[in-house]
Order: sequence, then C-alpha cells, then structure tokens
Amino acid sequence: MAFYLEKDFFEDTDLFNMVQKVMSGELTLRWYEAKTEHLRVTPQNATRGLTYEDCNLGSYGYDRLPELIRNNYSMAPRGSELWGKLPDLGYTVNRKSEVWSENVAALYEEAKTRRWAPAVDVPWEDLTKTPPPEAVEAAMAQLCTFLQECAAVTMGISSHWIYSINQEFLELKSYLCAQILDQARHVEAFRKRVLVGGQGLKRASVTAEQALKEILSAETYTESSVAGNLMLGSFLLGLYCHLAAVAPSRTDLRLFRLVMQDAARLVAYGSGNVRYYLKHQSHQVGGLHDYLDTAEHCLLGLIGSPECLEPLLILSGGGTSQEQVQNGSRHISRFLRKTVSEYLERCEHAGLAGRTQRSRLPQYLQQLGI
Amino acid sequence: MAYLSTIDFFDDKNFLDRWRRNLKGELDLSWMHAKTEKLAATPENPRRGLTFRDLDKGTYGFTDLPEFERHNRSFAPRGAELPEGLPDLQPAVSQKGEVWAYNTEGYYEEAMTRQWNATLDVPWHDLAKTELPDEISRAYSQLLTFLTEVEMIATDVPAEWMGKLNNNFTEVKNFMATQVMDEARHAEVFRKRALTTGYGLMKASPQNEMSLKQIRDADSFAEMSLSLHLLGEGFVLTLFRFSEYISPTEADKKMFRLVMQDEARHVGYGVQHLKWVMRHFPEKREIIHKHLDEAENMVFGGGYALEVTEPFIILAGKGLKKENIEQGTKITAMFQLKQMEEYFERLDKCGLGERRKMSKLHNAMELTRASLQEAGVIR
Repeated sequence: MAFYLEKDFFEDTDLFNMVQKVMSGELTLRWYEAKTEHLRVTPQNATRGLTYEDCNLGSYGYDRLPELIRNNYSMAPRGSELWGKLPDLGYTVNRKSEVWSENVAALYEEAKTRRWAPAVDVPWEDLTKTPPPEAVEAAMAQLCTFLQECAAVTMGISSHWIYSINQEFLELKSYLCAQILDQARHVEAFRKRVLVGGQGLKRASVTAEQALKEILSAETYTESSVAGNLMLGSFLLGLYCHLAAVAPSRTDLRLFRLVMQDAARLVAYGSGNVRYYLKHQSHQVGGLHDYLDTAEHCLLGLIGSPECLEPLLILSGGGTSQEQVQNGSRHISRFLRKTVSEYLERCEHAGLAGRTQRSRLPQYLQQLGI
Repeated sequence: MAYLSTIDFFDDKNFLDRWRRNLKGELDLSWMHAKTEKLAATPENPRRGLTFRDLDKGTYGFTDLPEFERHNRSFAPRGAELPEGLPDLQPAVSQKGEVWAYNTEGYYEEAMTRQWNATLDVPWHDLAKTELPDEISRAYSQLLTFLTEVEMIATDVPAEWMGKLNNNFTEVKNFMATQVMDEARHAEVFRKRALTTGYGLMKASPQNEMSLKQIRDADSFAEMSLSLHLLGEGFVLTLFRFSEYISPTEADKKMFRLVMQDEARHVGYGVQHLKWVMRHFPEKREIIHKHLDEAENMVFGGGYALEVTEPFIILAGKGLKKENIEQGTKITAMFQLKQMEEYFERLDKCGLGERRKMSKLHNAMELTRASLQEAGVIR
C-alpha cells in the first residue's frame, strides 16, 4: 500500500471518547456555522431542469474559478469550507485555461440528455433480415474493428487525465466522465455491429495503432486535448458523417447517426478548450503549432491505414468491382478534402492562426492527387 | 514526447505509394482473409436487445478468456487478428482473475439502460419552493457536502484504473466507464441539492478525506476494488438507504432511490469480484485479510467523522431539541450497526465468514449492538 492512515482508528481513544459523547447527545456542532456562502439556486427554465449553469453563482460558480488553483488539493467540493488537515491528492493539472472550455457545462448536460444504449437503440434485427452483400459486410466488419481501436483511445485519453485534474474543475471533470461513457458505448456498439454481421472481427491495424499510441502519449493535457479531441475527434466526426451517408443498412444508418452526436461533443470540447487556452495563454500558440507539426502525421496514419482506407473505399462505392471501387475513390477524395479542411478551419477558429498554411496535410493531399 | 510512432507518415514513401494505389482502385484486401472466427450473434431476448452476453461466443466471448493475457497488449479488440508491429500499451493488469467478476456484463447492460439525469429526474422546481427548518437545512447541507466529497474519489479512482487494464477486458473496462459516469452524476446531484437548500455547501471533512485517500492510493486493482466497491461503497449504500428514510421531502427520497440503484451495482460488482477471487484463487485469502485490516480502519475513520455523524443525528431526530437528539442517536446507531452487519453478510457470501473472528470492525459492531440492547432499542 502506498498510503497508510496516520492512525489506527480502532485504537484511537480520542475518537472513541468523542463518538461516545456525541452518541449520548452532546453534539459538537463544529460544522454548524460553516463559513460558506448562503444562497439558493433555482432552475432558470423549468423544462430544462436544474443545470450546472444555474448553479454558476457566487463562490460556488465556475466563473469565479481563478486561473491557478493554489488552495485546494483535496477532494473538498468547490465552495465548501476548507479547514484542518485536508489531504494533498497530488493533482498535476491546476490551471484553469489548460482544461477549460466555455461550453463544458452545456456539453455535459447535453451528453446526459442524449444518452443512448446500443443494446436497445440500434435496430440490430434489421441486419439479420436484410444483410448487406458479403464484401460490403466484410468491409463494415473491418472498419468497425478499426473504430473500436480508435474509441479505445478517445476513452483512454479522458480516463488517463481525470485523476490528475484538480477537483475544483468539477464541470470539466464531469464532462470528461460523460466522454468516457460515450466512448465505452462506441466500443460496445462497434463490437456488436461486427458480431451481428456474421463476419467476425477482422485485423487490427499496426499503422493506425502506432498513430493512436502517439496521440495517447501526449505529455500535457493541452497537447492531449488538441490531438485527441480536436484532431482525432474531427476525423471521427467526419468519418461517422460519411458512413451515415453511405450506410449499407438501416441499422448502420442509425448507428452512425448516434455515434456522430457523441463525436460532435468531442470536437466541440476540443475546439473550445484550445480557444480558451490560447485566449488566456496566447504566448503558447507557437508551442501548440510545433506540437501539431509533429502530431498531424498521426491523422495520416489513421486515414491511410489499409484497415481503414480499403473498407472505406468498398463501403463508399458499394462493392469491390473496379467501377465500384473507383466510385468509392471519388467519394473518399471528397471525404478527405472535407475532413482535412474542416479540421484546419477548427484550428484557425480556435486561435491557431495560420494553421492551414503551416500544416503539411493539404500538401499531402495534393501528393495523393486530391 | 513520451512515445513517437515507429513510422513518420508524412515522410514514409511506401505508405504514400500504397495510399495512391488504393485510390486508383488497387486494393490489397488481405484483411478480408483475417484469421478470425466467423460467427453471427443474435439477441437471445429481443426485448432486452443485443447484450454483451449475446456476444459471449467462441474467441470473442469472455467465458473462455484465458487467465493470463499473453498476446494482446495493444488497442486491438478481443478476437481480432493481431499482426506483427502492434504497439505495447504496457497494461498494468493482464490477469483475468485480478479484475473479473461474475455478471460483469450484466451490470454493464443494467447501467446503460438505467442511466438517469440529475438535471431533470429530480423535481428541482418543487424543492426550490420547499422551505425547511433552519437546523434541518444546515444538517442536510452538511450531509450533502460530505456525500459530494465521497463521490469525487469514486469518480477518479475507476477512471485511473481503466487505463491500466488490458484491452481484452472489454466488459470490465466498460463497466468501470459506467461507474465513472454514475459517480459524476452523484457528485452533481448532491451538489445541486446542497445549493437548493439556501445554505450552500458546508464544511469539508479532514478525517473522512484522509481515510478516502487510501482508496485513491491503492497499489493494485484488487486492493482498490476491496476498498472502493466492497467496503467504501457498501457503507455508502447503507448510508443512502438510511438517508432516504430520514430525507426531509419526497423529492429527496426520490434522489436517494436513484443514487441507490447505481451504488447497488457497484457493490454488486465488488462482491462478485471477491467471490470470483475466492473461488479461483483461495490462496489469496491471507492477503485479502491483511488488506481488509487497513481498509476497515479506513471506513471506520471516515464513517465516524463528525461531519457525517452529527448532521445524520439531527436529520434522523428531525431537530436539535433534546428529544430529537435522543431519537436521532438511536436511529444513527441502528444505521451504523446496519452498515457493519451488511458488510459482514457480504463477506459471508464471498466465503470469508471467518473475518468476523479477526476483525476489529466486528468488535466495534458488537459494542454498538450491546449499547443498543442496553438502551432497549433492539433486542
């Protein structure tokens, strides 16, 4: 064990005497006059319920959070009275602008209201009644194998950081929890999609996993967020949109529409986080550009992996004949152009001015003849 | 940089050439012949939908998972073909017995279908109109502050461990994901309720927090699960049940019923995990007892913190007058007794009945029982 309590409470006569006193009716009431703000929050809009935004008041609100948290390293909720010897939990992310985004409370609320369950919200039985052609089904099985690898990473990024983030950033941590659940749901949904189709899982992708491990290994929260939420999120959002458009079955259409909603939140948070970060730490823009200069090749590693690209070509064209694959290729060229340009636009809007000129992605597309 | 891909995709000519060939229509399609099992899963019960249990087949299933995962250390989903060159994610836990529990997949599916929303599922509008007596409001706000504190630890800890588990333990990782969200929702609902009392949050509890730090700093998944799922959440489950009983309004009762559902699942996982360990690794019995010695110290210290005991007495007795406090202490002692009894009953079910003879917590339980008998509260 890494941590032992300072006392064996079973042998602590002070505690024993105190408990006896209290249980005989002599309360200390040492908490009764807590030095905290008395206020009452109410739902601003009854149909929307009581949101975190409604609770954004006085010393309890997130607007009053300082940029640097210096006084609370414990699990005490923000706004409560801190006294006595509270533990230091070893948080390493204590700066608001590193993690915050103006939309974080809204995204958390949205994630809860738009929850879905793959077991019951996807019409799996349709797939068994009207299965897609074998080659198309095999392509879907390969793509969903690949998508599980991606979802494992988007889930891993949030779960890796939550533990290190100061508890004062409650709404942000709550949102990350929702993101973990969203991504676990994607792992589940894609696994179920493959195994219903009859083809079984296909091949894991070495190139994609190399890229994914690099993204997951980002050293700071900001780098992790820009690579995992903004860059990887943009790719996944674009891909889900595309797959919904070319879905070979009603089951797939529904599935990709549902995962798209969740991925849109990932991107919205990632963009908002970078925007907030650069608004408050504008001198860091160069560092973030430098990081992306190195990390953007991961996007190629994902899209260009044969385990992603080849099934995507088949699904987009509707089969494996020469004509179908070429038709698929036209679709994919459009998808690549759109995905890269949307990602770069998001970077620019978030404050990474000049990213479009600096990024090697457009030039790479040109090399591909796109 | 902590890790760089073994390939620089911008500069890898082979990668670019293959991509070009693909776009021209030249496909390799070797993945189509992946050496994996072909099978089709179907929902056993259409009303329940397609569950993880329906997927428990062949190489994709969890029943036949080997005890030691020796092959997959990557992001690859269980059952996929694993080509050479996949990265090693250095998972800290690759042994099934360290994490597995009977019915993990069932707990996961239940969690997914019983997700609720703290923003909408508690009648906040009614609560906003409810005026509680001053001493009840203060006591309730203090209890809610304590509960918010507790829930925070239960959010961080499973999240931290998820990343350390081998990717083949899909159902466990997914269950942990639901727990993370459940606990975030609990922290949210207790905070929101405290802020609707008109008193806001009250005092943090150093004694409780110091105790809970032990869960956060657990060295192994097994230690963490015993401390968190079995002990910590077991005690909190009883606390929720009694909190529902002493709640000042119907809306509050509803809130506690909702959190109780979630908490029962987490405790269920802890119990079923310990059962699994006891059945498959009886040699771990001594290690478990050693860990329980310290974990029981943790719940004893945290559970007797005055920031929870005193408000509980006031809420249970419905006031601060002498007769209220008298009534409140009786109910509180009953509650504390129940917490301990339920814990030992859970251990009995896991095959650790001998714990009663060696546990200091068991002595504390017997003392509490004797004092209640002496006061004529119980027989």
